[in-house]
Amino acid sequence: MPLIIKDEYPEKLFREDGKRLDGRDKQELRPIKMEVGVIKNADGSAYLEWGNNKIYAAVYGPREVHPHHLAKPDRGILRVFYRMATFSVFDRKRPAPGRREKEISMIITDCLEPVLFLELYPGTSFEVFIDVMDADGGTRCASTTVAALALADAGVPMRSLVSAVAVGRIDGEIVTDLSGIEDKAGEADLPCAITWFNEELSLLQFDGDMNLKDLDQYLKLAKDALTKIYALQLEALKSKYLTIQNESSGGE
Amino acid sequence: MMNIKRIISSIEKNYIINNLKKEERIDGRGLWEYRDLTIKNNIIASAEGSADITLGDTKVITGIKYEIGEPFPDMPNEGVCTIMAELLPLASPLFERGPPDEQSIEMARVVDRGIRHADCVQTKKLCIKENEAVYILFVDMYVINYAGNLIDAGGISALVSLISSQIPEGKLENGNLEWTGKYLTGETLVKELPLVMTFGKIEDMIFLDPNLPEELICEGKISISTTENKITSIQKSGYATFSVDEVKMLCQKALDLGKNIRKQLDLWQYKVKN
Repeated sequence: MPLIIKDEYPEKLFREDGKRLDGRDKQELRPIKMEVGVIKNADGSAYLEWGNNKIYAAVYGPREVHPHHLAKPDRGILRVFYRMATFSVFDRKRPAPGRREKEISMIITDCLEPVLFLELYPGTSFEVFIDVMDADGGTRCASTTVAALALADAGVPMRSLVSAVAVGRIDGEIVTDLSGIEDKAGEADLPCAITWFNEELSLLQFDGDMNLKDLDQYLKLAKDALTKIYALQLEALKSKYLTIQNESSGGE
Repeated sequence: MMNIKRIISSIEKNYIINNLKKEERIDGRGLWEYRDLTIKNNIIASAEGSADITLGDTKVITGIKYEIGEPFPDMPNEGVCTIMAELLPLASPLFERGPPDEQSIEMARVVDRGIRHADCVQTKKLCIKENEAVYILFVDMYVINYAGNLIDAGGISALVSLISSQIPEGKLENGNLEWTGKYLTGETLVKELPLVMTFGKIEDMIFLDPNLPEELICEGKISISTTENKITSIQKSGYATFSVDEVKMLCQKALDLGKNIRKQLDLWQYKVKN
């Protein structure tokens, strides 16, 4: 039977005053909060709030590979497990991982692998667990961003951080960082991630329709947003050590 | 990273046991004290009720979702409340991926029985139309960091989620489900407040709220759920045996500690204000 309140989308995604439904300007990001070292048991961990998205990421490794046949004699392997909590979405999600979660796990693995020096860790694995507790559009980008932070927190050697964001088109206008409603009711969605050591795209998907001129515009806006997200990531990493420094020196 | 192993060294084990003999714990607690407990409610916007609980370093996030379904034939006017636990591999190197294992099933079942037998969730209020439509509540607990005693942390998180819940009230008109514009809240749905308390046993020493090293060397555990003045469920696990006197003593302890904790936590403060 259907739920009592229906999951309906508004006809217009812009308000009378030209702002988006959540009050943002076209190229404005949602509020983002990041913290590292939140899961004590993990080798590295991070927590991210991005609008209504709430995501934990934990890194374990380098450690023994289970099942053993996946191990590679000449290099380490990276495995990413992206999962959503049953209560993170409008209709309760079934607890077992679905096709979507498996695909996103693969996309994020491929996205993060270029920044790691896996050849230094033969026969071992790095496992990144990403658990989305609350979802509101853009979880694959938010997950990639928080996973990169957790890897850095784990002290895994990296060529650089990775940042991700989605840009898209709603009601004919190109906007940055689609919310859940904008993602579902909008016309186009382009999630992408950048590896900062070479400033190239490491995650790229697109759904909708566009011409080459649009693509140029999308990627330019994405780059602006990614630069802002990168700064927040660096700040989150530094602030953990500033806290430790302040504690050990008894404050300023 | 904390040093987590499946097996605790004999030196560490002896250290824990020698401390317990002096009625001391390695983290400085007394035998009948909980670790620090923090409670946050309504943290998940997508859920109909939620809680974030930390008990020492153990952290559990719980959320509630609902579905509408047909009632069981033997309870035509009662809704259903199911409880599930996920021990995320993110939470500990001791947890593995895959379908629920014994530990997560035990956690869910013990928390479930504590709530089910306590006149806690008013399942008759979860009925939309007799024989036709009732609410099915899913209370799903996710372990974010594992540092011992998941059952007690889970119990409080499930209870706080239920208390802080807000579920759209539906009515059935000409076979169509409609929203009345109102919500069923924890105030209506929850009556008794069951608390589950877990005691560990090593040799002949018994103590409340085992932390991780204590839990790993425990010979057995006993979880006792109580309401204000009743014992509503007991679960003994592990290979230890408990004497009748010990069980009686622990039941009394659970009731006495429960009274204090209930007062201290003032769980009704987490209800949604209309």
